[in-house]
Amino acid sequence: MKNSYLNFEHSSSCLLRTLKLTLTKTVQFRAFMIAALVLISGSFVSCGDNFLDPAPSSAISADDFYTTEGELLNAVINMYDGIQGVNALDDSDSNANHAIQVEFYITEMRSDNTRTKSSEGEAAQFENYTLRPTNGIVYDYYRSFYDVLKRANIVLANIDVASEANKAKIEGEAKFIRAYAHFNLVRLFGDIPMADRVIGIADTDVQFTRTPKAQVYELIIDDLNAAIASLDNTYVNRASKAAAQATLAKVYLTLGTNYTEAQVLCEAVINSGFALEPNFNDVFYNENNNEVIFSIGFLSNPASDSQSFSAEWLNSVGRSSGVNYVTNEAAAALDANGGNRAAYSYRIDPAQPTQKQVAKYFPNGENGGATGVTFNSNPRAAGNDWIVLRLSDVLLMHVEAIMAGGASTSVQAALNSFQKVRNRAGLTDVVTSITKKDLLDERRVELAFENHRLFDLIRFNAAQDVLSAFSAANGYSFTSTDLLLPIPQREINLSQGMLTQNPGY
Amino acid sequence: MKFIKIINKKYRQGLGIAAFMSVIGVFISCDPALSHYEFDLPETGSIADATPPTANFSATQSSIDYRIYNFSNLSVSATTYLWDFGDGNTSSSLDGVNTYPGEGTFTVTLTASDALGVESTFSMTIEIVEPEAPAAIVPFIKEASFEDNSPGSEDCGSGNMDGRDCWRISGGRIFGITSSPVRTGSQGAKFDAGSDRVAYQALTVTPNTDYIVTVYYTIKTSPVGSAMRLAILGNAISNASEAEDAIIASITGDNQDDANEYLPLVLSFNSGATDTIAIWIDSNNVAESRIDDVSIILAE
Repeated sequence: MKNSYLNFEHSSSCLLRTLKLTLTKTVQFRAFMIAALVLISGSFVSCGDNFLDPAPSSAISADDFYTTEGELLNAVINMYDGIQGVNALDDSDSNANHAIQVEFYITEMRSDNTRTKSSEGEAAQFENYTLRPTNGIVYDYYRSFYDVLKRANIVLANIDVASEANKAKIEGEAKFIRAYAHFNLVRLFGDIPMADRVIGIADTDVQFTRTPKAQVYELIIDDLNAAIASLDNTYVNRASKAAAQATLAKVYLTLGTNYTEAQVLCEAVINSGFALEPNFNDVFYNENNNEVIFSIGFLSNPASDSQSFSAEWLNSVGRSSGVNYVTNEAAAALDANGGNRAAYSYRIDPAQPTQKQVAKYFPNGENGGATGVTFNSNPRAAGNDWIVLRLSDVLLMHVEAIMAGGASTSVQAALNSFQKVRNRAGLTDVVTSITKKDLLDERRVELAFENHRLFDLIRFNAAQDVLSAFSAANGYSFTSTDLLLPIPQREINLSQGMLTQNPGY
Repeated sequence: MKFIKIINKKYRQGLGIAAFMSVIGVFISCDPALSHYEFDLPETGSIADATPPTANFSATQSSIDYRIYNFSNLSVSATTYLWDFGDGNTSSSLDGVNTYPGEGTFTVTLTASDALGVESTFSMTIEIVEPEAPAAIVPFIKEASFEDNSPGSEDCGSGNMDGRDCWRISGGRIFGITSSPVRTGSQGAKFDAGSDRVAYQALTVTPNTDYIVTVYYTIKTSPVGSAMRLAILGNAISNASEAEDAIIASITGDNQDDANEYLPLVLSFNSGATDTIAIWIDSNNVAESRIDDVSIILAE
């Protein structure tokens, strides 16, 4: 407001100078008086608060929208809407954010678990480790999760409109989502711009400064502790205390610190009333079952709440010819160590028997019949929830926490957790000692195609060994710098040189 | 018309001569010895290497074998690499991986160069140590035999230590000191009949480790129905009222056959997800009871 007032004065004095030069001396005084009058009245008008920045009367403005708790709850749901992303069936704009629906590309397809069916296009850059900074899917995920961060920060910025009774809960929920998004981004991109508040369009310093990982993790840990302190276990499709505890345990395991705290957190989750589904297949087709700790909800109708990845993983059922196809290595691991999980985790593509598909998350539970491509419902509008955290992940994290960076463990508490996961898979032989490799292998077959494998390999310090061998065997071009994604080129361009690229790109 | 023809003819002759000259010219200019560039000053027209290479790498110990190190090449603006792993092995691949002969300190050097031959080197010293399973802590129990001024008791207060200062807990009534009967030394702990006496001491332990605690007790022969309890608390407490909820293992002894014979009370437990446990001893205070010689060892 002050600036615009000064501008106005400035242009008026310009007008005065022009008048002085062009008018004859006789009328100069009168003209000066008129101009002065114009200037004075102009000043009065511009002193009004809304003259140049009026509040719109026929539309809602973001600045003053949130006035009640009910409106703030819209912003809470809006966070989950951001994680859901847009189904291309509902909105085919490729600039839309697809968020969790494209996460498998940048996690599972960069591991030794999956690949594209045809090895074509930018989707194949993930499996053969030829990622370019211009890759559209990487940019999609990056902007999606910064959008989620913004949505969470909007809740936090307007937290004061919440009632005293619910304030802490809403704040904890937003902080959990902020931690979840930061944790994904920091593991994928390394040092990242940190969004600890709503980042405005002019905050280029924040947008384009890569905050050191350690500092991002500090905020993640603070946020998760706040969430643990204020949340309960009411929801599965929304943040909960158990989800925050499990995520914090994973943060500690990723950092390789606070193993005892991680163990306490895992035990708290294990003792919170969750239970393994007796049948492994039901984990994925019996929605919100007792094993699920946190999942991203989807509905088959309306299409705006549905997801597309279930269709994309099949043979030309989605927009691609088939992505997230199972590698021979993953299939061999499942056959060798999966027990009854193998049959529920992958299948031979009925339409193309040389290829293997993921058997978790068939669209709306329909497996496509004998051809694998025939459905009663629209497979591209799938309602399957995406499971982010489930109990068996936490049971195996419990073993990892007890191992505490060591090479093996035979502590009874660890054996018990490990045995529970294996017993459900029909592998009831009694385990008396667990090595780090046993644990990594067990996580691979239990959590196959659930976007854990790449993070597990990195966390276990096994990524370079395993992926180098995998890459050499398949003629791909893995190098150690492929463990971090490139910062999207568009962001680097927008930053005008402020944002630096990761090594190797 | 004729005039034009003559010109044309002359022109054609000229063209022929010019062609001949240019052929000779080509031969001359192809001879490097006669290149006119040789008279230029060196570096004329060249620009400095605006993007010189920067060598950098990180090292991680393999999860498979402690002697294998993976090196992640983080160099910028380089095209060729030379690794010197410090044990005589070298490599020219992008990422380095080396199996070391065994424990020791090695200096790893990466020389990165670009196509103009500009080099940059980066070195890192790595220490290879066979990871040992960390030895579990055997906690030290202060005033374990309830003797005056016994080792460690200086941590529990100043002045004359009376053999029970390390066993106090607020909200709990400390036991008395007895001189007869005792099992070793000259003092033991006495839990009077009709009085809620307790003993409490927090210990630092290794998480998830099996321990065995032993205490010797004796109870007067009457009244009957008396019992001593040895319990392990899963965490340190600040008030005796918190003890009951914190118990992770306990055992009771109710042998009242002989008021002068000390019998062992042995309790095995796993420390679980904590690095602090506490010993808790109390009595149902029916008959006067005594304890002596508290010890803790690692279970094999």
